[in-house]
Amino acid sequence: MFKHLFKLIWNKKKQNSLLIAEILLSFMVMFAVFTFGVNSYRNYVTPMGIDYEHVWVINYNNSLKTTSSDSLALFYESLLRNIKSMPKVIDAGYSSNNVPFSSSHSSSGIKYDGEEFDRVNQFTVDDNYTNTLGAKMIEGRWYNKEDKAGKQRLTVINNSLKEKLFGNTTALGKYLTYGDDKAKIKIIGVVNDIKFDGDYQVAGPSMYGRADTSAYHWLSRILVKVSPDADAAFEGRLYKMMANTLKNSNIEIEHLDNKLTAYNKFTLVPLIILSIVAAFLIINVALGIFGVLWYNINKRRGEIGLRRAIGASGSSVSSQLVTEALILTTLSIIAGTFFAVQFPLLNVFDLPAGVYLTAIGLAIGFIYLVVIACSLYPGNQAAAIYPAVALHEE
Amino acid sequence: MLKNYFKIAIAVLKRRKFFTFISLFGISFTLSILMVATAFIDKVVNDDYPDKKRDRSLYVAHIELKGKESMNAAAPSYYFLQHYVGSLKTPVKFAISSNFNSTNTYVNNRKIVINYKYTNADYWDILEYKFSEGKAITKQQIANAERVTVISEDMKKEYFGDDSGPVVGKYLEADNIKYRICGVVKNIPITAYLFYADIYLPYTVSKIDFKSDKGYMGEFTGILLAADKSDVPKMKKEFDLMIPKLPIPDKQFDKIYSHADPYVEGYVRTGNETKSGMLYAITALSVFALLVMLLPTLNLVNINVTRIMERSSEIGVRKAFGASSQTLVYQFIVENLILTFLGGLIGIVLSVVALYFINNARLIANLELSLNFTVLFYALGICIVFGLLSGVYPAWRMSKLNVVTALKA
Repeated sequence: MFKHLFKLIWNKKKQNSLLIAEILLSFMVMFAVFTFGVNSYRNYVTPMGIDYEHVWVINYNNSLKTTSSDSLALFYESLLRNIKSMPKVIDAGYSSNNVPFSSSHSSSGIKYDGEEFDRVNQFTVDDNYTNTLGAKMIEGRWYNKEDKAGKQRLTVINNSLKEKLFGNTTALGKYLTYGDDKAKIKIIGVVNDIKFDGDYQVAGPSMYGRADTSAYHWLSRILVKVSPDADAAFEGRLYKMMANTLKNSNIEIEHLDNKLTAYNKFTLVPLIILSIVAAFLIINVALGIFGVLWYNINKRRGEIGLRRAIGASGSSVSSQLVTEALILTTLSIIAGTFFAVQFPLLNVFDLPAGVYLTAIGLAIGFIYLVVIACSLYPGNQAAAIYPAVALHEE
Repeated sequence: MLKNYFKIAIAVLKRRKFFTFISLFGISFTLSILMVATAFIDKVVNDDYPDKKRDRSLYVAHIELKGKESMNAAAPSYYFLQHYVGSLKTPVKFAISSNFNSTNTYVNNRKIVINYKYTNADYWDILEYKFSEGKAITKQQIANAERVTVISEDMKKEYFGDDSGPVVGKYLEADNIKYRICGVVKNIPITAYLFYADIYLPYTVSKIDFKSDKGYMGEFTGILLAADKSDVPKMKKEFDLMIPKLPIPDKQFDKIYSHADPYVEGYVRTGNETKSGMLYAITALSVFALLVMLLPTLNLVNINVTRIMERSSEIGVRKAFGASSQTLVYQFIVENLILTFLGGLIGIVLSVVALYFINNARLIANLELSLNFTVLFYALGICIVFGLLSGVYPAWRMSKLNVVTALKA
């Protein structure tokens, strides 16, 4: 049966190779769309890791003339106390520019146990960070006041980095270094993953360093957690207070939830455009396959009539045509999967293999569905051919 | 002859309406996707409001310090632009403006986000903003560090409400300072980020300390204006000669990169000194266009091949009466071009509809996309490429048909 079908396909190899190429390309397009979609979905269902509602970000720049770190620290610590003492403010803390959902990123390579890890996100934050954002510790502890005095450099890492470096074993008390830097850094805690690039992107491996007094020279963000009833009037008061304290600085207050919406747009808009383009391409291809199959049946009326005349049932004729189309599809999908598996094998784009495999599965299913849908109607038409009429034409 | 081909093409199109529909659907949608993309690129790259003098301007928006292990790249500082670039001989005018930054203001318990930009006097001479009221900030006002501002129409609407009447002379508060409004300009989309802002301020009122800060890195952009078009290469050369003579600010660096670019080149500059941003952008765009066109082309080839077989008796007769393969190929390609142009016409209608929806959705504020002659010209080019791509192979197949078998069928 299959051997016979292959023979039929081989006899029309020129026309069929065009169809195969077309289905192969559609498969690759769907693979790309599904990879993008599956990856976004997988990231979307993982928890955000922070409570971003009612968190504001104050942007300022250090405009004080003094170069003394101690007097700077004195000034900024009292500023933070003033902010915290305002009504409706629940907590507040300093952070480096890469607050959640900002386009600012900072990363560097680290070394653990002789092995190097590239692009680990670096955050410089203070003792209040986890409380302000509502992040949870998985093991160990966050920074506190006593860390100020210690000589040993400390760090808190996130869960992704912990799993990358230590797997299931504990990370506490281990040491790592920045590249070939000699200074050893001790891990004192593991915090949950924070999706700082918005809902649809993965929380990369990250390290949270404690801001020391010299950091006040360049720190320029304050995260403020406010109560739900804090309104624009209150924001105006906070703004005036900041502007009066830092006279030579530009002040801006942003809301984390607005920043998240804006950041999500960055990820979603390309996905939407890609889906629209892909949808149009697939409709196009589906119509094309439909047309070609339909035309082929009209050309093969004689052959089909003969089969019917010697006793083949309508459904067996129809299933022959559908199977022929499916064999063509299978050939293209085998070729397509060969290209698609290169992505997880060569680790292009740094996505987990599961995403690619799910995408391949979905693309295969989708293409089969399209082809079956397009060949059912022509198949039924073929089944309806009367042998007498068809043979009479010959 | 062409008239005959045209008649035949229309007759063939009428013969099997379903196939005609598939072909036209594929062509028109592909073309409208490409046309919308072209309209977008054309708007972003070719729209010359407010920099009408673009052909005799060069833009300095990037500076990079490079050493063996360290690299520092940012927008240039005011000091770098004013002190070094400002001393060039060729430019007749030199606009300096800060990149836009945002701040808040609170009006009637409502929060307004304001993007502000600091400008010097030449900025208002080089760029031709359209004023709906008032006028630009004057040289004198900038020298005196007067707190005056030019605002955008959007800002006027947001700050003063929809029916505020003229606002010149009124005050607007930003960053806790009150500025007197001296002019209102037409809105600019954020994609023209070199010129976009909600309020424009004299650089002299900025809180940046221009005297003591002598670093190269900052947040400013310079626009060099040549006396006429022919002076632009000379100006570029003078700029390029000046850069290697700059004192290196720090031991960890050994090279300074900065460029005075024409607008488009500056727009796509990636910050990577070894790779041209232009090349990168063009490659990315062509790959996208090819990918979008490849599938519909294959589809069209498929359908065309099928349709030719339908006409084998016609081809057989023509061949039998001595038509050469070349004539047949020519005829078929012309027919296919007619089909693509028909699809192109539908595509233009579709893109007008699509652009209308995109403009209404306001994905990017003030970005009014439209089909103009440049876009239509590109569309024509795309049609021809598309028609040739999808016509050549079926035509070749057709010309290969054997006369006897063709006549028999």
